[in-house]
Amino acid sequence: MNIYFQLFSREISVAFKRWTDALTGFILFFLIAILFPLISDSNKEFLLTIVGPIMMFSAFFASMLSMQNMFKPDFQNGTIEQLMLSKGSFVSLILTKTIAYWLFTSLPLILISGLTASIYFVSASGILIIQLTLVLSTLTMVHINAFTAAITLGIRYPGALMTLIITPITLPILIFGSKTIENSILGADISGPLYFLTGMMMLSFFLGPWITASALKISMD
Amino acid sequence: MNLKKIYKYGSPPNFYRFAMKLEPWCLSLGLFLIAIGSIGGLFVAPKDYQMGDAFRIIYFHVPSAYLSMSAYAAMGIASIIGIVWRSNVAFAVAKSIAPFGALMTAVALITGMLWGKPMWGTAWVWDARLTSEFILLLLYFGYITLHATIKEQKKADRAASLLAILGIINLPIIHYSVVWWNTLHQASTISKLDSPSIVGEMLWPLLLMIIGYMIFFIGVICRGGSAEVLMREKRSNWVKEV
Repeated sequence: MNIYFQLFSREISVAFKRWTDALTGFILFFLIAILFPLISDSNKEFLLTIVGPIMMFSAFFASMLSMQNMFKPDFQNGTIEQLMLSKGSFVSLILTKTIAYWLFTSLPLILISGLTASIYFVSASGILIIQLTLVLSTLTMVHINAFTAAITLGIRYPGALMTLIITPITLPILIFGSKTIENSILGADISGPLYFLTGMMMLSFFLGPWITASALKISMD
Repeated sequence: MNLKKIYKYGSPPNFYRFAMKLEPWCLSLGLFLIAIGSIGGLFVAPKDYQMGDAFRIIYFHVPSAYLSMSAYAAMGIASIIGIVWRSNVAFAVAKSIAPFGALMTAVALITGMLWGKPMWGTAWVWDARLTSEFILLLLYFGYITLHATIKEQKKADRAASLLAILGIINLPIIHYSVVWWNTLHQASTISKLDSPSIVGEMLWPLLLMIIGYMIFFIGVICRGGSAEVLMREKRSNWVKEV
């Protein structure tokens, strides 16, 4: 059996055993989206203007919540070291791991976002755009999170440092993501910000695994 | 063939001697230019017909804003050199640039706020340049904190350099994404070379200040970098001789 496929199925089965990690992000995402109409104004026009930022914001926080555990358990029990020594390319192995992680932590958010968007009175076509935006932006964010988790691996309490590193790098994705959603709700052209998001995603797929792998190597020695 | 000459400065003793020779010249020349520029800017240049005397803060605002960006670029380049050639000197230089760059960013932000208060009526607006300058400050803080948190010297160097390189890739993206807001900040004063929107009497102190800041910056880097190199090599023989 292919080594990448083996790692992938291993990641999925481990993720099922640590399901609370994914669940916390999921609950946070849902709760932020529900709490906003409750604690602020709940009329339709207002909710439609803030749905874009809220979606991006809650996805950002949900992805940040679980990312400390992205490499830490595997680092402590020596799996990362074994991956480094294995015959496959380390960069591609990291890419496999990142995608498996994305499937488990971000895909549930995208599925539930249809429900949360309908709380904000978004139309059916708007929901599709929101989900597309979330797919593109979480696929970018997961690489940034992977890099940050890898580079702060040896630090005992990395919480504040992680936030400091991750916020400036993620900012463009948040801006363009909420711009896409806002434009689609206003009925304006969404191709500009959507192309940008796609470009960022391609760039992060190209650079992300490579830079994460070198960060892991630095944390290793 | 010329690379060999550059390689020579990659060795700590050579770099140290070179930096020590360069440092007093840069510091004094930089200070001299800054002094002339300040006198020219604060006393000689005529009042702005719109802003009055308040415009004179430009002589401190613009050079520090210039330097905050170019210091980050210098830090990124030093980091790349450090990662690629595993040069200890480059890491030391990158590390010594960071606090100075953060300081310049803070100065640019604060003078901008002081300037904005009487001119725009508020100290802060969510404007493209202000926001990206603020993000730049966060990037500097990230670098400094990451370097300070990792105990092992070599690990800290390489990890922080990786972050600086990522910041270099990301900085233009951040800038252009922030430009999406309508911008209140006035356009650059001296980038329009053919028809400058500033009169000569106002311009020359500004140029002097920018050049002075740059040269002073090189002096500071020489000082900080050589001190850092000394700290790192304190066990070796050539340091004992110095």
